[in-house]
Amino acid sequence: MAVAGRAQWKGYIRFGEVTAPVALYTATSTSERISFHTVNRETGNRVRREFVDSATGKPVEKEDQVKGYELDNDRYVVLEPEEVAAAVPESDKTLRVQAFITCDDIDKIYFDRPYYLTPDKMGAEAYALLRDGMHKKKVAAIAQTVLFRRMRTVLVRTHEKGLIATTLNFDYEVRSAKEAFKEIPDIKIKGEMLDLAKHIIGIKKGTFSADEFDDRYEAALAELVKAKMDGKTLPKRAPPKVSKPNELLEALRQSAGIKAAAEPKRRASKAAAKGRSKATRSAAAKAKTAAKSAAAQRRRAS
Amino acid sequence: MAPPRPYWKGYLKLSLVTCPVSMMPATSEAEKVRFHTLNRKTNNRVVSRYVDAETGKEVDEEDEAKGYERGENDFLVIEEEELESVTLESARTIDIEKFVPRDTIEWVWLQKPHYLSPSDEVGHEAFSVIRDAMEAEKVVGISRLVLGRRERAVMLEPCGKGIVVWTLRYGDEVRKPENYFGDIGDGDNDPKLMSLVTSLIEERSKPWNPDMVQDPVQEKLKEIIESKRKSAKKGAKPKGKGKGEEPAYTGNVIDLMSALKNSLEKKSGGKSK
Repeated sequence: MAVAGRAQWKGYIRFGEVTAPVALYTATSTSERISFHTVNRETGNRVRREFVDSATGKPVEKEDQVKGYELDNDRYVVLEPEEVAAAVPESDKTLRVQAFITCDDIDKIYFDRPYYLTPDKMGAEAYALLRDGMHKKKVAAIAQTVLFRRMRTVLVRTHEKGLIATTLNFDYEVRSAKEAFKEIPDIKIKGEMLDLAKHIIGIKKGTFSADEFDDRYEAALAELVKAKMDGKTLPKRAPPKVSKPNELLEALRQSAGIKAAAEPKRRASKAAAKGRSKATRSAAAKAKTAAKSAAAQRRRAS
Repeated sequence: MAPPRPYWKGYLKLSLVTCPVSMMPATSEAEKVRFHTLNRKTNNRVVSRYVDAETGKEVDEEDEAKGYERGENDFLVIEEEELESVTLESARTIDIEKFVPRDTIEWVWLQKPHYLSPSDEVGHEAFSVIRDAMEAEKVVGISRLVLGRRERAVMLEPCGKGIVVWTLRYGDEVRKPENYFGDIGDGDNDPKLMSLVTSLIEERSKPWNPDMVQDPVQEKLKEIIESKRKSAKKGAKPKGKGKGEEPAYTGNVIDLMSALKNSLEKKSGGKSK
């Protein structure tokens, strides 16, 4: 496996009394993005960061910088790096499976980073057994170990011919969804509105492929930079029109392409300005446009 | 501490239905034991500041600006307001392009979760329509969104009264699994071993419980801080740690068989933890 590069971690996975040597490889990479530099507006020069004593304003050497925990206003407990390190248990390099969990039961909100978990030659058999057993029972395994000097909980799940170990965020690192959504009123949608929305979903059903998505931001930014260099400013986009509660049903009907669409406002007012004589012709055009847009929608959806 | 302000404000759109929404990250550092950097010599806080790379003089906060490097050491200053006029629709609007069956998106694509809520009364019903229809059809929505100066694919999944928005990784941000799993056998498992391992899994299966994501280290840090607070002189010495010994692994089939049997006996003998 020359292409795979070096393992981030080597150790063991242990389930029950079975122990197998394994390795972890980062499953993801971060692609490049446009970076800005912080500059001094006054001089146009770049800036650099400096660490200074908040009271004296003098630079503080790296070795004089220590971690402090704030007790109350300006009172700190100093913790030396060794003390912080001592809080992390010694690593025995073993992912100890604590429980198996039904895949449907897992709360994805805790997911942090995925790693490919691969077997060592010596443990290939035990690895295959765990993988196939979990696959058959549709479960994932919860395990804990010290990874990269931090205690981590990981979720191990089958993925193609292998296993993926995803590090999980701790409970205190995840906001409660219930709390976050508590202000939302309890509205249950039924009847025609729900049916229309389900119909729209049907029209737009498809599959996901990550390769279809590319970052268009860079191009948009380049456009912005160019406009600025040319001394132009890009027009601000108007915010989209929000569907008012009394227009919602009609908007859904139009989206579903079920009823002949009503005329968009702009065109309606133009037609009105042109006078009454053309009213009949405009009505015919209206019907035509509606039919066209419904067809276009169907095309787009397929 | 300031109340969590919305991290992103914009619109959720499905065809001709549009409603105003706000979004915040589902993860937070706020509850973590946080440290400040102190100057060991003075016990004062250490703060960072910016100085001009050429003149070495301190730069006022209001003079800090974003610079786009158009040539060597030649920066074009771009203001925040200007960035907002970027022409992408996805900068302000989550326009749902398509729906895919729930659970068809591999977990490996999920990058970061956010909570999406309606931000104005006018949109409550529209928001609920989109959420409930996705729930009823067991689908998730796929859209594009600009966050942190990148445009990403996002996945929208109903969650209680709200919607969770996951940013998804780009195609080239997930390494090819074949390169890692290519050498792994398909698993001609001994049926006896298979039945033992499935029994082991059944025995050790538990419902999901947030206790599974507790952090023992955080608790320990809090203890250390507490003991230091009490003993004004010197912090309590950390306890001696157990030696980290590497285990012996289970090698051949005979080993595997007896290890699996042991696991099952051990478990059924005693009470579960």
